[in-house]
Amino acid sequence: MKIPLEWLEQYVKVNKKPEEMAESFTSLGLMLDKPISHYENGKYRTPVLDLEHRMDRADWLSITGCACDLAAFENTTFNFPEVDTAKPPIISEKDRVEIKVLCTDLVNRFNTRIFKNVKVKASPDWLKNRLEAYGIPSINNIVDVTNYVMVELGQTMHAQDIAKLEKPEIVIRRARKGEKLTTLLGETVTLDENCFVLTQNDLPTVLGGIVGGISTGIDETTTDIILDAGNYNQTNIRKTSRRLKILNESVLRNDKFLHPDLTEIALQRATKLILELAGGKCYKNIDWYPNKIPPKILRLRFSRILMISGIELPNDYIKKTLERLEYRVVSEDKYAFELEVPFFRTDVEVEDDIISDLLRIYNYTYIPLQQLSATPPTEITPKIYKFEDKIRDACVGLGLHEHITDPLVAADENIKEQVRLENSQSSLKNALRTDIYPGLKQVYNNYLKHQKESVGLFEIGKVYTRHNKTRGLEDFIETRVTQILFVDKSKTPDENSTAVRKILAGLLQELGTAIYSLSKNAAGVTEIFVGDATLGHIGWNRIVLFNEKLLPLSGETKRVIFDFQNLRTDDLSLMLAPTILLGVVQNEISKASADIKSIEVLPSRFDDKTKNLKNVLFRINHFSNNFAEIRKTILKILEEKFNAVAK
Amino acid sequence: MEQVEDVINQIKIEFEANYQKAVNDGDFDTLFLKYFSKTHGSITNLIKSLPKLSAEEKRKIGPAVNDLQNELKARILEGKRQYEEKKELDANIDLTYTTPPASLGFMHPTNQVIREMNEFFRYYGFSVAEGPEIENADYNFRRLNLPEGHPATDLQDTLFIHEPSILLRTHTSSVESRILTQYDPPMRVVVPGKVYRNETANASNLAFFHHYQGFVVDRGITIQHLKSTLELFHKFLFGADVVLRYRYKYYPEVSPGMGIDMRCTFCKGNGCSVCKQRGWIEMLGSGMIHYNTLRSCGIDPEEYTGFAFGMGLDRLVMAKFGITDARKLYNGEMVYL
Repeated sequence: MKIPLEWLEQYVKVNKKPEEMAESFTSLGLMLDKPISHYENGKYRTPVLDLEHRMDRADWLSITGCACDLAAFENTTFNFPEVDTAKPPIISEKDRVEIKVLCTDLVNRFNTRIFKNVKVKASPDWLKNRLEAYGIPSINNIVDVTNYVMVELGQTMHAQDIAKLEKPEIVIRRARKGEKLTTLLGETVTLDENCFVLTQNDLPTVLGGIVGGISTGIDETTTDIILDAGNYNQTNIRKTSRRLKILNESVLRNDKFLHPDLTEIALQRATKLILELAGGKCYKNIDWYPNKIPPKILRLRFSRILMISGIELPNDYIKKTLERLEYRVVSEDKYAFELEVPFFRTDVEVEDDIISDLLRIYNYTYIPLQQLSATPPTEITPKIYKFEDKIRDACVGLGLHEHITDPLVAADENIKEQVRLENSQSSLKNALRTDIYPGLKQVYNNYLKHQKESVGLFEIGKVYTRHNKTRGLEDFIETRVTQILFVDKSKTPDENSTAVRKILAGLLQELGTAIYSLSKNAAGVTEIFVGDATLGHIGWNRIVLFNEKLLPLSGETKRVIFDFQNLRTDDLSLMLAPTILLGVVQNEISKASADIKSIEVLPSRFDDKTKNLKNVLFRINHFSNNFAEIRKTILKILEEKFNAVAK
Repeated sequence: MEQVEDVINQIKIEFEANYQKAVNDGDFDTLFLKYFSKTHGSITNLIKSLPKLSAEEKRKIGPAVNDLQNELKARILEGKRQYEEKKELDANIDLTYTTPPASLGFMHPTNQVIREMNEFFRYYGFSVAEGPEIENADYNFRRLNLPEGHPATDLQDTLFIHEPSILLRTHTSSVESRILTQYDPPMRVVVPGKVYRNETANASNLAFFHHYQGFVVDRGITIQHLKSTLELFHKFLFGADVVLRYRYKYYPEVSPGMGIDMRCTFCKGNGCSVCKQRGWIEMLGSGMIHYNTLRSCGIDPEEYTGFAFGMGLDRLVMAKFGITDARKLYNGEMVYL
């Protein structure tokens, strides 16, 4: 909301510099959004404040709305602008313009007046300057008055030339699919039944609450006008304007919760200005307002003020402050005030909102500090959160770098379980990832650009899949994953895979899941098992671990040895058929004796090509004093199962 | 007895010969095992033979064996020390040139900041919670006092999977509404996590970013507790001389709402490009949890009150690590040395 300070001063006089006034507005909830600018036109000069609006206060889209709060904050008088409260004569039947509202769910009030014999001309300088300082160009005195009242009071208005109406009748109805309207800006928009229009002879002249058309506009030939101030369904305005991509001063106000009562005050103010600036005579035309809204009454308990703020405010202070904000005290007792909420404060829903008002004016800066002192409640941090932190530390300890990549990816028709977005602005980001690897690969490529030879990366994050189409939350599964990528360019893929397995071994050891096995499934993917549970899978340059599956299988890290362990090492060199998977052999060896602690598989150069056998060295770490017996057992098992022989 | 004395003498002579030959750590270790191995060490064996001697012999021989044991152990230790000393001063080892650093793993800057913040809040008894990123409108909006069509939904352009009911959470407040619904007060919780907005990416915005949410519900919680908690939090993150500004700010899920700004640390409040010439940097939004929010989550707002706060983390991370483009935090352009 822009506020030319010269304009503001008409309603509230504060003896402060613009910067200080901006500070006051900021405290109140209207933060200075941009540096203070200055508008200048000849002798007219004014600083202009650009204040952030947070969607709640419809009345803060008017200068008087802001002025009223500022006056309360600065403890000074607020002067409401002069309005023409005289009841205008009712227009004669022959001159009446009929109002028919066919879409009663979209229009709350449509209030109209007729002005005859006005003189359309240029606006006086004061009016032009104020509007232009705000940012609206001057058109003519009638259009300028409607814009002026909009900025001053927050109510949009619309004037039409009666001579240009084909019939003395305005019908407000839902638009028809495909219907077109050329706006005042010369743009043609295509409408549908979700929006509503003001029509003449069944042709749209105005897109309701959003933008006027060109056909009935005011120009210098105009003498008789019909002026309307409407109150509409704000949700519809919001959706229609966003769909048609029309954002203007009207939309800005009509998509908020404005009160229908504001239409009458705005017409009174416009009447005062039109009669002053364009002459003529004002008549009351139809005010379509079928469902009047009763005033909102709320009870404000003193105990509640204390409960929320911790401050005991004197009753006099409370009363005075609220009256400055235009609340009316209906009744009071020793516990509470019964208050009528000002009609324009459509944002006030509950008692605590009134307390907000009190504290704003009290000034948040002066609210004291009090440290939390009660006993902390029971901890509810989920185990998985701490566990993932442990994985993170272990990965960093293994020399891996953590990255976070974008979960939003391009939709891929080949991935049936992919979760797609309906309204993404980018076709490259219209689905959720089902795999972290592609994102991490992109990071890896960047490391290559920096000439890194050995790169180890990881990400702990989610992948997202969809398993049903009931359109409920239960369709979707978010799986927590640790993805590792490791490539050392100086190594062959086989050597690299050894490094990847070492990372896996180190990580699982750190997580207390040191006993695991690797097994190739039917699809050729090597899976990581603890017992019968799959924890993830491994490739020559990557590891995927499912964190939630890993958690229950993890335990205390046993890496600290207090007593000397007489660990012995013996090698077993075997000749095996090349198709036999070494993980399976390793697994069988480990079952041969409880004294076996670990088995390393080492490459060997002594393959027997004539018999098509590969030579593998198994280095067995054990606690036994009698390895010869263990060796016998192992060889017997391996001979039976794999036809293996010792070399 | 004479036999034992002979053995002692022989050990001494033999030890001396071996000792002179020992040149490195391994040699001294071998020497140690030769005399002190539990299974076959010469002195170990000698000690094992002592019980067979008579009391008088024990009196005589015992101390001699003991002295021998102590002497040899001391000699081996001294030999090792001398070796270490010699190695340290070895003229053939040139330690004067520097090398590239050994590679250490690095945690993502955002997670470093989250961990730092968690550390603060856990000290004050907060739990850390998480929740789903694919969320329904009920937890993301409705229970947070945001009815359908409310103008404030414009503050958060939503990415929908099925409009209007299934969406990507726009804030971690959705986890707040889940926890308020699931648990009974008292509660102190922080929620770090990813959130999504339907925005076109630019230098400071992505369609996803990180939020940090916190809330407290208990009897007797007032806005004074909120101010104090956030004051301590900012001092923890930015130092004791931080200057904060408290102002009214509207958020639908709280009432009264409160915004907190920090005096720009770059320009000291004079205005610069970092603070968009404001002199202040918006840090977070907060407030007392809305009456309707508590009620719709099954908590009696007449008995319990609470406060909540939430902040975007990415700008904080950018400032802390000197990153000018938020996209670089997540698009893979950032590498660690």
